Amino acid sequence: MDSGEIPAERPVTLDITVEDVPKEAPGPASSQPSSSQESIDLGGDFISPQDDSSATRSESILDKLNDQMMESVMISDSPNNSEEEEDVAAMDSILDAEEGEYVCNKEEQAEIGQNTKEIIVSFEDQHSAEGMVAEELMKDTDRQRDDSDSKFTEADTEEAFEENTMHEPVEATLSSPKEESIPVCTIFSQGPQPKALVPDGFQPTLIKSPSFGMMSAGVSDEAVITSKLHSPLICQPSPSLSKFFSDNGHTNPASDFFDSFTTPSSFISVSNPNAELPSSPTPERQLSTSSSISTPGAVLDFGTPTSVFAPAPMDSSKTQSTAPQTPPVVANSATQPQPFNQLQAVFSGSDDPFATALSLSEVDRRHDAWLPSEEIRKVLISVATQQFSPAYVETSRLTMPGLKFDNLQGDAVKDLMVRFLGEQAAVKRQVLTANSVEQSFTGLKQLISTKNWRAAVDLTGRLLTAHGQGYGKAGQATSHTTDSLQLWFVRLALLTKLNLFQNAELEFEPFGNLDQPDLYYEYYPNVYPGRRGSMVPFSMRLLHAELPQYLAKPQEALDRLHNLRTGCLAILENLEKGLAEDGSMITLTQENRQASLKLWKSRLSRVMYSMANCLLLMKDYILAVETYQSIIQYEPRQRVQLLSAIGRIFLQIGDVKTAESYFQDVEDACQMKGSQPSDSTCMVMNRAFVYLSQNNYTEAHSSFTEVLKTDPKNPVANNNAAVCLLYLGRLKESLGQLEGLVQQNPAQYLHESVLFNLTTMYELESSRSNQKKQALLEAVAGREGDSFNTQCLKLV
Amino acid sequence: MDVNQTKQEHLLALKVMRLTKPTLFTNLPVTCEDRDLPGDLFCQLMRDDPSTIRGAETLMLGEMLTLPQNFGNIFLGETFSSYISVHNDSSQVVKDILVKADLQTSSQRLNLSASNTAVAELRPECCIDDVIHHEVKEIGTHILVCAVSYTTQYGEKLYFRKFFKFQVLKPLDVKTKFYNAESDLSSVTDEVFLEAQIQNITTSPMFMEKVSLEPSIMYNVTELNSVVNGDQGESTFGKMSYLQPMDTRQYLYCLKPKPEYAEKAGVIKGVTVIGKLDIVWKTNLGERGRLQTSQLQRMAPGYGDIRLSMEMIPDTVNLEEPFDIICKVTNCSERTMDLVLEVCNTRTIHWCGISGRQLGKLSPGASLSLPLTLLTSAQGLQSISGLRLTDTFLKRTYEYDDMAQVCVVCPSV
Repeated sequence: MDSGEIPAERPVTLDITVEDVPKEAPGPASSQPSSSQESIDLGGDFISPQDDSSATRSESILDKLNDQMMESVMISDSPNNSEEEEDVAAMDSILDAEEGEYVCNKEEQAEIGQNTKEIIVSFEDQHSAEGMVAEELMKDTDRQRDDSDSKFTEADTEEAFEENTMHEPVEATLSSPKEESIPVCTIFSQGPQPKALVPDGFQPTLIKSPSFGMMSAGVSDEAVITSKLHSPLICQPSPSLSKFFSDNGHTNPASDFFDSFTTPSSFISVSNPNAELPSSPTPERQLSTSSSISTPGAVLDFGTPTSVFAPAPMDSSKTQSTAPQTPPVVANSATQPQPFNQLQAVFSGSDDPFATALSLSEVDRRHDAWLPSEEIRKVLISVATQQFSPAYVETSRLTMPGLKFDNLQGDAVKDLMVRFLGEQAAVKRQVLTANSVEQSFTGLKQLISTKNWRAAVDLTGRLLTAHGQGYGKAGQATSHTTDSLQLWFVRLALLTKLNLFQNAELEFEPFGNLDQPDLYYEYYPNVYPGRRGSMVPFSMRLLHAELPQYLAKPQEALDRLHNLRTGCLAILENLEKGLAEDGSMITLTQENRQASLKLWKSRLSRVMYSMANCLLLMKDYILAVETYQSIIQYEPRQRVQLLSAIGRIFLQIGDVKTAESYFQDVEDACQMKGSQPSDSTCMVMNRAFVYLSQNNYTEAHSSFTEVLKTDPKNPVANNNAAVCLLYLGRLKESLGQLEGLVQQNPAQYLHESVLFNLTTMYELESSRSNQKKQALLEAVAGREGDSFNTQCLKLV
Repeated sequence: MDVNQTKQEHLLALKVMRLTKPTLFTNLPVTCEDRDLPGDLFCQLMRDDPSTIRGAETLMLGEMLTLPQNFGNIFLGETFSSYISVHNDSSQVVKDILVKADLQTSSQRLNLSASNTAVAELRPECCIDDVIHHEVKEIGTHILVCAVSYTTQYGEKLYFRKFFKFQVLKPLDVKTKFYNAESDLSSVTDEVFLEAQIQNITTSPMFMEKVSLEPSIMYNVTELNSVVNGDQGESTFGKMSYLQPMDTRQYLYCLKPKPEYAEKAGVIKGVTVIGKLDIVWKTNLGERGRLQTSQLQRMAPGYGDIRLSMEMIPDTVNLEEPFDIICKVTNCSERTMDLVLEVCNTRTIHWCGISGRQLGKLSPGASLSLPLTLLTSAQGLQSISGLRLTDTFLKRTYEYDDMAQVCVVCPSV
C-alpha cells in the first residue's frame, strides 16, 4: 500500500519544490531563519541545515523546505549567494534519500522479525537471570519502535508534501513581486501580514513530563523522535512480547488487565431474524406462513380500502361490516382457535365506525393533533371534503409495514444456566412466554411488567400477524387502526429497550418519516368519521426520532428531533393564538386549552430531553449543556436534577471548577424551595462526585456513606460507596458490601451496573470467580425476566 | 485469565487491574404516554430502575458508578494506577509473602510497591491488596512486573512473576511559532510573540486546566488568551474550556525582554531560550495529566552589521512636495565603522540633498539619527528605496530598499 502511494505523491512534490526553490532562493532569507526555527526542537530530530544534505531523515529536510517557503517573509540581511545552489542540490538528494529510506525501512522490518525470535531464544536461555529479562525485552521493543518510527516518518513526509501543495499558491503570489528585492530593511516593508497568510510554520515541540529528568541523552533523543509522531491510539501488542508471554505459559497479558470486556454498546444481544427455534414451531410461525399465502383480497377485506385496487368509499362501510369476520379467515389456517377469539376481541370494538364517531372527544383531538406536511394535508383534505376515493394515492405514498423477523423468543439467562449449571438447574427457570399469557393487550402488559420483553415482542408479532401485517407482509397493501399502530409502537419500543436497534430500524423503515396519508385519521372518513389527527402516537414519533442515535447516526436523530420540536412549537403557537392544535378555527373552552397547552409543553420538554441526550451521546457537551439548561424552563420541578446532571457532565469532561459552580447552583436552588430529603441526598451526592474527581476517594466514600444515613436503601449511594472502597484498596470490604446488597434486596440490586461491578471484583479477587458468578446467575434466574442483559455477568 | 496454567500449581493467585476512573452509567430512556397501550408501564419500569435519576427519569446520564471496563489508553503525563491483589486460593496458610511490583520502561526500572516488607502469613481466601500509582514519564512500552514469593506450610519456598505490558501514548501535539514584532521603533530588542498550537491526539475530550508559558530569566510573559471584560478576564476559547479529540487550540503569548537584559542590546542575539510551556489537563472525572515542552528556543532576528530603522516618517504626503523622514542607523557589528551615505533616485523617489555624504565614525552598538528629505513623483502607495551606506573601512556597501511606504496624494486644488 505504502509503496503505491508514495510514487503517486512524488510528482506533486517535484513540481512544487522546483517551482518554489528558484523563487525563494534568490532572497537572502533562506538559511538563517530556518535554522532559527529548527533550533526550537532540542531533541536532535531536526538537524541543523548545514549538515542535512543526504544522510539524514527525509522528513527533516522536507521540514526545512517547508520552512524555507515560509521564510520568504522572514527577514535577514546577510546575503549569501552560494546558499542557493546548495539548496537546489539538497532538493535532489531529498528525493533520492527518500527513496533510499523507504527501501531501507522494509529491510529493517524484515530484520526485526528475525531479531524477535532471537531475543526470545536468548531470553529462554537466561531464564534464571531475573533482572535481565525485562531489560532484554525492552531492547527488543525499542528496536521495534524504531522501526515504527521510521514508518511514521514516511507518513509525515507525505504530510509535508501536502502542506506544500496547499501553501504553494499563496507563496507564489507573495514572493513574485519581491523577486528583485535584495537586502531588505526590516521595518515597514514586509509586515507580519504575509506571515499570517502562511498557515503553517509551526514547529512540533517536544513535550515531556515535568519531572522527566533522569534519562540519558540518548533516550531523550528517542523521545523526541516519537514526539513528532502521531502515535496510534490503540495499544497493539507487539508480536515479540505476546510471544514472550505465551511462551511463559501465560495467557494474553492484556486479559489480565481485564481489557477484554465489551463496551456497553456491544451489549446488543444477537438475534437472528427468521431464526428457526429448536423448540416446536409456535402458532405464530404458522400464522405468518398462512397469512402470506392468503389472497390479497383477504387482506384488503380486513381493513379499510387503502390502495389503487381498493373498493370505492361507498363500499367501505360494507367492508367494515365484514371486518369482524375477517379474523376467522386467518384463523382457518391456525391450529389454535382459542387465541384467535382473543385476537378478535382485541380488534373489535374500537374500530366500530359508530362507536368511533361518538368517541370523538376533546382528549382525542388533543393527543392526536399533528401537523402533516403541506402535500399530505392536501391529500387528506381531498379525501375528507370531496369524499374522493383515496384510491388515487400512489402505493409508494402508503405505509405497508410487516414483521421483518418473526421470532425472537429466547431466554439468555436460561441458555447460560444450561451451559453452566446443567439442564437440571435450568428447568427451574420459569418465565412467562408469549404462549403462557392471554393473547391480548392484557397479556402483553403482563409480559412487559414482568420484564419478559422478548416474549412481549413475540406477542406483538402475533397480534400484528392477526392484523395482516405479519412476517413478509411488508410492502403489501394493508390498513391501519389505532390499535395496530399502538402495537407497532410497543413492539419497536421494546426492541429498542432490548438494544435490538437494527431490528427496530428495519421494521420502522416502511413507516417512512411517519408522515404518510394513511397514517392520519382523515384518510379513513368512514372508519373514523370526523376524527382528525395522527394515528401514530406521539411516543412512536419520538422513538422514531431517537432511534438513529443508537445506530451511530446521531445527526439524523437530531434532524428528526428538531422536526418534532418544530411541530410541537407550531401546535403551541396555534393554541396561544386561540386556535385548535392543528390551526383550525375550533373554539376551545378555557379548560381544554389549558389542558392542551400543558400536554404539548410536556411533549416539547420530552423532545428537548431527547435532543440533549443525543447531544450528550455525540459528546457535543456545549450544546448538550445548553439544551439541558433550557429544559429547566419547561420542567422547573426538575431544576435540581438537571443542574446536577450538568455538573456531572462537566466532571466527565474534567472541568471540576465549573462543575462545582453548578453544584453550588443546585444548593442554592434547594435552599430556595425549602429542604426536602431528596434534595439533601442530591447535594451530598454531588459533593461526593467532586471529591471523586479530586482523587479524594476517602472523602468521596464518606460522602456516599453520609447519604446512606438518611436514605439507607439508596442503591446509587450503596454501589458508589463500594466502588470507592475498591479504589482505596479495600477489595474485600467492597465485595462484602455489594454482595450483601444483592442478597438482601435483589429487586433493587440485580441491576446490570451493580452486577457488572460485582463480577469485575470477583475477577479481581480470586481465580474462582466463575463459581461466584454462577451463584449470581441463579439469583438472576429466580427474579429477572427474559430481557435481562446477561453480558454484565461476564460468564462468557 | 487463569494464573495457574503454569507447570507448577501455585497456592497464591495474583490479579492486577488498572484503576482508571470509574464511569457514570447511562441508561436508555424509552417512554410512552398514559394513553398509549402500555399505559404507565414504561415509566414505572424506568422509575424502578435504580440507575435512573429520581424525578427526571428521561435524563440519560445517571449517578451510578461502574468500574473501568477495559485497560483503556494511557498517556504520557497521566498517572498509572493499578490494583494488585494476591489471593490465597489454597486451603493452607501461606507464610512470608513478599509482593513486589516494578515498572520497567525503556530506560529504567522503578519499584512501585508501597511496602517492601513481607507479610507474615496469609490465610485461605484472604487477600493482600495494594494500589500502586505512578506518573508516566516516558512514551512507549512499559512492563509492569509483579513478583510474588512465599513459603508453603511445608517450608517450600516458591516464587512466580507476571508481566503486564502496556503502551504509553502521546496525548498532545504541540507546535510553536515565533513572531518578532518590531513595534517599538527606538529599541533594538523587541517583543516576541509565541503562538502555540496544542492538539488533542487522544480519543477523549480533554479539559485544558492550565496552559502557561514559563519564561526564561530574560523575559517577562503576557498571556494573550483572555479578553478583559470589566474586571473579569474571559477566555478567548469560550466558556467551555475543553478540546475534542483531534481539535487544535492556539495559544498566544507575548514575551518582552526584561529591562536589564534589554539594555544590553547585543545580548539577545542569536539563539535564545524563551521558556517552556506547562500544560495541565483533565479528562473523565478528573483524571489528570501534566506535561511540559522542552525549552523553546528562538533565533533573534539578525540585523546584520547595520540596522536601519525608521524613527519618523509621515504616512501621507503630497505629490511632488518634499517631505522629511528620520532614519536611525545602528552599528550592530563588533567593529567601528566609517560610513558614507549615498542616495539613488528611483523612478518615483527623488532624494534631496547630497549623495556621498560622510556620516563619520560609528562605534559598535552606537547609533545615529539621519534626517533626510525626499519627494515622490507618482501617486499611490510608494516604497522608499535607494539608500546606500558604505563602510569605508571594509569597502562594503549595504543597500536599503523598500524601507517603508508612504501614501502619495495629489494636493487638493
